[in-house]
Amino acid sequence: MSHHEAQRYATAPGPAGSPHPPPRLEAAGICKRYRRSAVLQDVNLTVYGGQVAAVIGANGTGKSTFLKICAGMISPDRGTVSIRGSVGYCPQQPSLLQFLRPDEHFELFGAAAGAGRDPSRRAGRSLAGALSWDPAVRTQARHLSGGTQQKLNLVLSAIGDPDLILLDEPYQGFDHGSYVDFWEWVFRWRSQGRAVVVVTHMLNSLDRVDTVLDLTHAQTGAGIR
Amino acid sequence: MRKAFIVAEMVARDLLRRRAVLALLALVPLAFYLARHDDKVGQAIRFASLGLAWAVSTLGLFSGTAGKSVEPRLRLSGYRSWQLYTGRLCALLGIGLLLAGAYWCIIVLDQDLQRPFAVGLQLAVTVVVAAPLGLLIGASVPRDLEGTLILITLIGLQFLMDPEKSSAKVLPLWSNRELGTYAVDNTDSGYLQRGLAHGIAYAVGLTALTAILAAVRLRPRRHMSVAPRAAHERG
Repeated sequence: MSHHEAQRYATAPGPAGSPHPPPRLEAAGICKRYRRSAVLQDVNLTVYGGQVAAVIGANGTGKSTFLKICAGMISPDRGTVSIRGSVGYCPQQPSLLQFLRPDEHFELFGAAAGAGRDPSRRAGRSLAGALSWDPAVRTQARHLSGGTQQKLNLVLSAIGDPDLILLDEPYQGFDHGSYVDFWEWVFRWRSQGRAVVVVTHMLNSLDRVDTVLDLTHAQTGAGIR
Repeated sequence: MRKAFIVAEMVARDLLRRRAVLALLALVPLAFYLARHDDKVGQAIRFASLGLAWAVSTLGLFSGTAGKSVEPRLRLSGYRSWQLYTGRLCALLGIGLLLAGAYWCIIVLDQDLQRPFAVGLQLAVTVVVAAPLGLLIGASVPRDLEGTLILITLIGLQFLMDPEKSSAKVLPLWSNRELGTYAVDNTDSGYLQRGLAHGIAYAVGLTALTAILAAVRLRPRRHMSVAPRAAHERG
């Protein structure tokens, strides 16, 4: 496999000891152009349960576009995405109802997965607690700091216990402690058997992930560790 | 229906907490009503009703465009597009009908009407048309500004066009004039029937069209295939 060819594929082996369970996410041959500019060309990514994949690349290389395609938010020009299980998605910019409180967000997103109000609130508060945030205060989302809005944004992606979690640079505005908490959170999800895909350019965390998809050369290919 | 209900509740909370916006919107019908208060009774009520339509459709427009960022995510989380759309529409209808009720009380106390319940019907039909109208405009344009300009044009035409002209029947709130004439001028029930038929037809048409746009916008993409996870696949 040539260097360029290798760059287009990011697939780590399935979990050891398992009889090849189907991957949670399989993106194959993804191509996307914006006007005349090719953003993604034949990009592939396979992630199994119990794995963390990092999508890296310079600005404008299509990391967010790729994640949106995986989440089904936008269509690629070519390629397919197969998902096994439920999906949580955390967009780069917090998409919140600005006049609702955190608990109300938990109820709204929890109901999507069929959960009742109390279990949704409990789940949201528990997830928030892992990020050193107490969301019990009756503060509307618009009055939360940027970093705390981002934590709310992140917590909402995990409500409903999804099998695959897609995170688009979800730590913007986090202080150092919250950033560390975030990665611990990610690796806890992995140990629970979930598949996690994180768009990041914090390369210092990459040695702990299972797969790296480098889109820096996405116009000609993407990299694998 | 539980999911649609919780969407309605949260959208209503989100809107009702914008107190300054709500206060300003609630004043629109009052300003229009007072502007024609010294004219014929029918004109003042017709203007109040059009002001109500403007307020409710503006709320629908802004609510619809604001929802565009969060609804794809809610859809991915497990809502169906009809639940998101129905919930938002119900929230708007609830707020609009509350506002209509308040203005009905003001008008009934202020005017000597022989058919006060017909005025209530006129205001209610106006809300039922205006809410999906605002949502439809919000669904059709990329940003609030474009939608606001369309809304200003539509409501402006509603004020300016002679309702006797057949072309005026194309406007979504033509029913307002027919129902108002029936309510105030004690005309025959033909006005009531024409007004109701026009209002209901527009409400149903606008609702259906917006629902289709929402379903298209939030459709499952063709490149995606999603299968349920087997129970044993996660510990």
